[in-house]
Amino acid sequence: MKKYFGLVFIALLIACTKEQVTKQVMNDKIPQQLPDTLRKLNVNTKMAYIPGGEYKPFYSSDTGLVTVHPFLMDERPITNSEFLAFVKANPQWQRSKIKQIYADSSYLRTWLSDTTFAADALPDAPVCNVSWYAANAFAQSVNKRLPTLDEWEFVAMADRTSKDARKKPEYSDAIIDLYLQKDRQFQPVAKSTPNYWGVYNMFDLIWEWTEDFNSVLTTGESRGGKYEDKSLFCAGSATTSTDLLNYAAFMRFSLRSSVKAHYTIANLGFRCARDTMIVKK
Amino acid sequence: MKLRFLTLSAIAMMTGLFACKMADNKQSGTSSDAVNIVAEGTPTVAELTAAPKVPAPVGTRAAKKLIVNLETTEIEGVIDDTIPYTFWTFNGTVPGSFIRVREGDEVTLNLKNAANSVLPHNIDLHAVTGPGGGAEATTAAPGQEASFTFKAINPGLFVYHCAAPPVPMHIGNGMYGLILVEPAGGLKPVDKEYYIMQGDFYTKASTVKKGLLEFNNDKAVAENPDYVLFNGKKGSLLGNNMIEAKVGETVRLFVGNGGPNMTSSFHVIGEIFDNVYIEGGSTVSHNIQTTMIPAGGSAIVEFKCDVPGEYVLVDHSLSRAFNKGCIGKLKVTGDANPKVFKKGGAEKQKSAY
Amino acid sequence: MRIIAFLLVLLGSITACKEKSAEPGEMPTLPSSSIFNLSSQWENQNGDTLHLTDLQGKTLVVVMIYSSCKTACPILIAKMKQIESKFDRKDIDKISMVLVSIDPETDTPEHLKAFAAKNGMDGNQWIFLRSDENATREFANVLAMKYKKISPIDFSHSNIISVFKPNGQLVKQEEGEINIDNVVTTVNKIVKGNS
Repeated sequence: MKKYFGLVFIALLIACTKEQVTKQVMNDKIPQQLPDTLRKLNVNTKMAYIPGGEYKPFYSSDTGLVTVHPFLMDERPITNSEFLAFVKANPQWQRSKIKQIYADSSYLRTWLSDTTFAADALPDAPVCNVSWYAANAFAQSVNKRLPTLDEWEFVAMADRTSKDARKKPEYSDAIIDLYLQKDRQFQPVAKSTPNYWGVYNMFDLIWEWTEDFNSVLTTGESRGGKYEDKSLFCAGSATTSTDLLNYAAFMRFSLRSSVKAHYTIANLGFRCARDTMIVKK
Repeated sequence: MKLRFLTLSAIAMMTGLFACKMADNKQSGTSSDAVNIVAEGTPTVAELTAAPKVPAPVGTRAAKKLIVNLETTEIEGVIDDTIPYTFWTFNGTVPGSFIRVREGDEVTLNLKNAANSVLPHNIDLHAVTGPGGGAEATTAAPGQEASFTFKAINPGLFVYHCAAPPVPMHIGNGMYGLILVEPAGGLKPVDKEYYIMQGDFYTKASTVKKGLLEFNNDKAVAENPDYVLFNGKKGSLLGNNMIEAKVGETVRLFVGNGGPNMTSSFHVIGEIFDNVYIEGGSTVSHNIQTTMIPAGGSAIVEFKCDVPGEYVLVDHSLSRAFNKGCIGKLKVTGDANPKVFKKGGAEKQKSAY
Repeated sequence: MRIIAFLLVLLGSITACKEKSAEPGEMPTLPSSSIFNLSSQWENQNGDTLHLTDLQGKTLVVVMIYSSCKTACPILIAKMKQIESKFDRKDIDKISMVLVSIDPETDTPEHLKAFAAKNGMDGNQWIFLRSDENATREFANVLAMKYKKISPIDFSHSNIISVFKPNGQLVKQEEGEINIDNVVTTVNKIVKGNS
């Protein structure tokens, strides 16, 4: 993570006077050079400005507060039609051409061909059955990146009216209710109510890849003190859950720790993010 | 390790008293013996059954290689008359499929998580000696499969359950079942065998779908269940679903308790258990009225049906039976047995005067 | 909209052709699961820029570490040295011992070179690599290796040593309590089988 302490400071100052501010992107930082194997894609998903700040993540007890720098996040997940544009521009990411190292056999499983998604799939429903590598490549092709786990969780703290709703009992309940519903991924994006930051679909449609999903050192079984075992993890005490009643977050971490980057899952999609240098007035 | 210690200490304590009983059952006793049993041949797929049925006994067969295929699903089922509840299951039922193996068997467990699952799942079998009982090795994201192989070295009746976080929620939604590890030579044959598993359920109305009940975390934390049930549904052992036996038959019940929280005081009204394999282990106790089954534990109970009638199975913490649904019935048919039971007072003695 | 789609298809087909024509000059076709399919760019301890395909042709023993680690990494380094010491000297040019940094910011080529020298890992078989964060994360994902930066100087991470065949296929991973004999046996099987 690059350090923009000054900017954070400014952003925080500005955040205090916030509400109806005008957002002006001064200079979006391009994350990195487009790899020569990727073709740039002209998909401009609308992004929401997230001023960042300090937050206490679910997974940590002793690392304390984590600083999230200001960033932009797609206001909704990437859709079938956007991903279709990507595989058309980058045929090596088509279903019949993708290398095994990048995706398992259920990659774009429901698609009818390399360049046709299922007949009953909505163009503006979130794309699923995509691996982390594919999501990462998509993000690079639009000059973005995947959000970090901390960025994603930072945005996920918000409900409709507040930045951090985690203390409200109905917040976790409502999310779990959503999590228990199947086949949500077939609905179109950005139709439900956005949260405090103007971001849609954090919980109601799909699980989402994060850039560093594999930073969760707890195992999928969660009961063992494996992460306390110095022979397995160095400096490994960073991962005990503080907020055990936040079952919704617990479930997300459970999912993240159960996947590998080449997995493709029927309800796992993604959205993109981007570093930013932004001025808010 | 723990299992081995318990088995060893139980055996040490019971030497003498139960030595003949154990010899009866041809139990080899220590788990270290079973480690060296060779499982021969090519693997075969194990027969699995939904409650209250159990697979065929192992009998006198040698140890072998078995494949157990389980699929984790998240499905809408009925918890009470017509009230739907979102259950999470092993092989589509609550409790999950009954697994029956022999001591010394080499078991490959394939866990597939249904493609339309929302969450990852796994399995921790209490019959396994090894990290997490297999939980870590089997953690499967939606649509994924995971496997591990273990040798069944301790005979007994063991609970298995999902151990994916949050564990109480996975268990509270019905992710548990039983695996029986029969001793070499098999358990003594009986006439009827049934599979019964108790669980406590914590519910609230879904805010997304009208009429649907879902897991309620607050009630689970408070250990205040709305339902305590045999086999995951109110009335699962009542009416047409009663388990049955005939007069003169011996019945063996494999009883488990999935929890997640309640300890069961298992009792059959009007019967006395001739034999209870305490906590599903190797110690057999006799003439028991009510046996305690811990959450995540089991018991094997055996009794002979002497008198016809309907026998009520309950958790003798009776509010659970009569208010929360933990009630079932065994129907015994056949001729009356007045020597053992008859209505009416003793025949009046004729006065000597 | 349609025009754009048409153009995209056109572009797609052009790239497809380009790809095909680019292939014949390369090394023999790689398995689809080969790690050499990764296109990321790396720097070694000598400051040379390279791609993973440049490691093709040798059996790879791979570990991810960071040089300022005080806890588990020294153990991993020691294990890598023990593994290396068990190979036949005549086979050593068929094997690369690869150490990939999870802390590319700190682990500059100079830094890695000094680290290698300090640990007596300066033969040609020792390759230290660093890239950018995205490529590092991608590489870790291939190994299913988990790591997290927990402070500016500290990472928590899982301990895995992996063996790749000369064509880049992953054949063996030892995790946690690493059994070095398993690694050595696996490598020897490949190396002896090929010789």
